[in-house]
Amino acid sequence: MISFNKQRWVGLVLFVLGSVLIVWLHAKCFGVVPKLAYLSGWVLFAVMLALTFYNPRKKISFLPLLSSEAWLQFHIYAGLLTGVLFLVHINYKLPTGWFDDILASLYILVMISGFFGLFVSRAVPKRLTTRGGEVLFERIPGIRRQLQDRVETLALQSVDQVKSSTIADFYVRELKYFFDGKRNLIAHWFEVRAPLNLLLNNIADLNRYLNDSERATMDEIATLVRQKDGLDYHYSLQLVIKLWLFVHIPLTYSLLLWTLAHIVLVFAFSGGAR
Amino acid sequence: MKEQLPSPDFNRYQYERPNQNWICGHAAEGKPCRIGPDSKGHCRATYECQPALKVKPGETKGRYECTRPAEYGGPCSQGPLPGGTCCRPITKCVPVRSLRSKRKVLTICVVAFTAAVLLIGLCGPFRPGFVNPGRLSSQHSTATFAKMAGAHGGGDTCVACHGNADAGPHGLVKAAFNATPGPLQVRSLVSSQPPAMNAIDENCEHCHVAHSFHEPNVVRALSCSACHREHQGSGLMPKPATANCLFCHANAEVMQASLELGKKLPAADFDFRPAQGRVLFKAPRPENGYTELIHSFADHPEFQVFAEKLKDPDTLKFNHQLHLASPNIPQLNGHKLACADCHKPDAAGVYYLKISYEENCKVCHSLQFDLENPGLRLPHGNVEHVRAFLRSLPEQYADFGAKQKGITGGAELQQFVQTQMAQIREHYGSGEELERRVFFSDAHTGPVTQVAGTDATGAARFPGCAYCHEVTSSANGAPLVTAPVIPDRWLIRGQFDHSKHFKIACTQCHDAEHSRETADVILPGKATCAECHSPRGGVASSCSTCHTFHSARKDFAER
Repeated sequence: MISFNKQRWVGLVLFVLGSVLIVWLHAKCFGVVPKLAYLSGWVLFAVMLALTFYNPRKKISFLPLLSSEAWLQFHIYAGLLTGVLFLVHINYKLPTGWFDDILASLYILVMISGFFGLFVSRAVPKRLTTRGGEVLFERIPGIRRQLQDRVETLALQSVDQVKSSTIADFYVRELKYFFDGKRNLIAHWFEVRAPLNLLLNNIADLNRYLNDSERATMDEIATLVRQKDGLDYHYSLQLVIKLWLFVHIPLTYSLLLWTLAHIVLVFAFSGGAR
Repeated sequence: MKEQLPSPDFNRYQYERPNQNWICGHAAEGKPCRIGPDSKGHCRATYECQPALKVKPGETKGRYECTRPAEYGGPCSQGPLPGGTCCRPITKCVPVRSLRSKRKVLTICVVAFTAAVLLIGLCGPFRPGFVNPGRLSSQHSTATFAKMAGAHGGGDTCVACHGNADAGPHGLVKAAFNATPGPLQVRSLVSSQPPAMNAIDENCEHCHVAHSFHEPNVVRALSCSACHREHQGSGLMPKPATANCLFCHANAEVMQASLELGKKLPAADFDFRPAQGRVLFKAPRPENGYTELIHSFADHPEFQVFAEKLKDPDTLKFNHQLHLASPNIPQLNGHKLACADCHKPDAAGVYYLKISYEENCKVCHSLQFDLENPGLRLPHGNVEHVRAFLRSLPEQYADFGAKQKGITGGAELQQFVQTQMAQIREHYGSGEELERRVFFSDAHTGPVTQVAGTDATGAARFPGCAYCHEVTSSANGAPLVTAPVIPDRWLIRGQFDHSKHFKIACTQCHDAEHSRETADVILPGKATCAECHSPRGGVASSCSTCHTFHSARKDFAER
């Protein structure tokens, strides 16, 4: 198996070589090949189709069509290459007119969302590893419910044990909302710990009014608060990894549809002329 | 593949399947049911297990046993009901879509929205504005254009040029596949051959009737779009690029074919440029025509007028050097005679006005044939007028005396005329001799030209018509003055805009200070132009800087 670093270097080198080749060919053929824009357009469309095929490829994993990892590498570097092809196709000038403006905007949005996806898929795993813990995104709601159940149980037990509702009241007042669902997602994305620290400070403040038994219970609850916060952290970051595709994939299909219309319009209106 | 095998403690029952469209509504509580929703999102939950009937040896009825798996708590303590039903029913849930399914729905919505926008844009009344890739050039945005396009049965919108512009979506797809070359004709896309005349070009030719005309020996008519790009924004259409010209002029095969075709055509076919009231300097067509290979201005042939040392055929005798450099030339309006004193730009400043005797020569070269009466001058421009003037000399003196000298008395005027005529007779002998000298005397045989002045006007003494003109005699001895023919355009295959060169002194390009003969064509050579018009000089040196492809033809110009 080729190491990740080696894959990256191979991909980068191929991308740079491909880009140089495309720019050089464009400069050499510009004015010599009259239908150069058609040619670059078809190549761009073909590469875009190949890139789009990465999504269905994941669903037909039974076919021996290279590994998903290889497809991902191809997707990244061929995607970058479309940027060069796009610039060459538009001859380094921004298009004018509604139709072409929308087409170019769709391409740019897909490209930007792709860059964002590349960034989060590289940055988020490191952050999750640094924070610690490992949890499947789909299991997070269940685990969150388990944590909530455990905290509620501890709060109720404390009422029976010390005949005082201090912890239960605190739970209802300060913690129930926190455990009810996913919280502080944006703060987690920006590594802001203030919401957690506020809760822990409140717990520390409450400790002054508790006896030893209650304090032990409260320590357990504080541990669960930290776990829930960690769970929210995972949820927040993993959600971003999944949500960027909510932009990238729909816009990709929209772009393909618009591109097809572009091809039809170009040929229908030019009649084959340049 | 080996590392993809599940570990021994892998629980396949609790394996998450995010690819499924629906998730059990209890999943958020951490207690999803085992069976999960169906493919349409309906809850299928009934009981926690489906009890199994186990019949032990010797038993006839058997007993139902709980089959709840261990990961869901194992067999329950109560066990199945007597009828074989599980005692623990599951509360029905409202299944929720998986994240992947939500993304799929969003994708379908976005694609549907895109399709809707496309359909509205392409089928609705907004289509012309929607699909327009850029503003039309000013030439194709005028009311005149709309009127002309409408007159040809099209319309004044996109359909004026694009025949399929009004077609529906189906028509557009059909038109796209019927295009030549079509979308699937990949070989034609990589061809370096410029596109030939196309259906869309026929619409251009409705108005541009002579569009395909270049030189008669063009071997292949190209599509208008091969050189002209429309929809590039308002303003004038961009000039064709040099590469457009090089398609043919840098192609040896095409140039050879043009050469061969040109040899088969009569020479008169190449004399197609309409004069339009101007005098054109027509250089003789080279044997091979203009078929030399050209790749840029650097290997452009030397201008023919320069390379072949062509001569100005004009018969007028004019010495530029004398007028510009001689100390005998008097100052004009207080300054030394300069180019601009005779050569006046036209209103646009692009070219120069015709040189005429009245405007440019008369101020110095007045036709003073009588030294005693410098105010009496011969008429210019017509031999017969001059002869009539000379034959009616007494009347001319009488008229001159009355109007110029203020002699009013009849006897006094008659005396004046007799005196002048006597002097003329004394000087010339006879009227015939006077006429001969007036027409035929030149710089050698006529009186010495004293431009520095014999009177206050500083005008030259008139030596004779032949001083400037070619004068011959007819069979009956009558003088014939050859009318001068001064070309208005010297380089008829290109254009030159003097207004763009106003910062440069005339003599920097035109070597007038060393030209002594009229025959000298004092146009600059290619090297002079290339000092600026080259990559080194930094000024444009594309073909279209000087040339235009479409030369108007005489027959079209006369329409």
